[in-house]
Amino acid sequence: MGRGWRPILIGVAVAVATFALAQAQIFAPSAPAGGTATGDVDRGEVIFQRECAECHGDEGAGGVGSALFETGLDAAEVSDAVQQGRGVMPAGIVTGQEQADVVAYVVSISSPSE
Amino acid sequence: MPLADVAETYTDLVTTVFSSTIAAKAWFATAAVLLALVQVTTAARIYGKLSFLPERGETVARIHRWSGRIAFLCTLPVFFHCVTILGFQTPDARVAIHSLVGTFVYGVFVAKVLIVRDHSLPRWALPTAGLSLASVLVVLWLTSSLWYFTNVRFGF
Repeated sequence: MGRGWRPILIGVAVAVATFALAQAQIFAPSAPAGGTATGDVDRGEVIFQRECAECHGDEGAGGVGSALFETGLDAAEVSDAVQQGRGVMPAGIVTGQEQADVVAYVVSISSPSE
Repeated sequence: MPLADVAETYTDLVTTVFSSTIAAKAWFATAAVLLALVQVTTAARIYGKLSFLPERGETVARIHRWSGRIAFLCTLPVFFHCVTILGFQTPDARVAIHSLVGTFVYGVFVAKVLIVRDHSLPRWALPTAGLSLASVLVVLWLTSSLWYFTNVRFGF
């Protein structure tokens, strides 16, 4: 194999390494199990207003994004949507503790009132 | 520092300037693409394909080198967030294309840098590698920043 292939082979090796690193997600925060267990609803509301309300509306009333108020979402569903993205919503808008807090807040407003 | 805290620290750091990590990525990627266009333009001048730039010499070569270095630096926070926190995802076509092309960006970059330093290769090899790298960056920008600016919001 000629020497001219060397940059391509090394480039492919770097791409494979990048893929492996992406699969590992070494700095990904662990998913907040249950959301409400680790999240703070009050902090979540502040973060929600900053990051989410533009699309989901104040208190999750809906807008460009889907309505969240009294829709019965559970923590796992909300966590998954935040982590993976949904429709036009990008993945990972908030991560780590902020994600847990937002999940806690969204779960709190999405609980149907008695 | 636990690994999970790295993401939080990164988020705290980025949100001192930008409204969110996604907004930061959108702007860093935009800067990288604009600098990539400077790269293509100055490379074309160096190869004698353009004549509107003021001179064809050391100044153009210096602009080419420094625009490349700064573009590379602009990609680092994007790489950090996309690769080490979000990872390879395929929830829809846009994200799948972005993930797949993004996997190759540093591979193409490394190949291009190696080709720059290897003077035994054919003359077409370097412009091909450079255009490939610029194309990869443009595809990544179209599937991330442009989408963010048009679908989510245009702002910091």
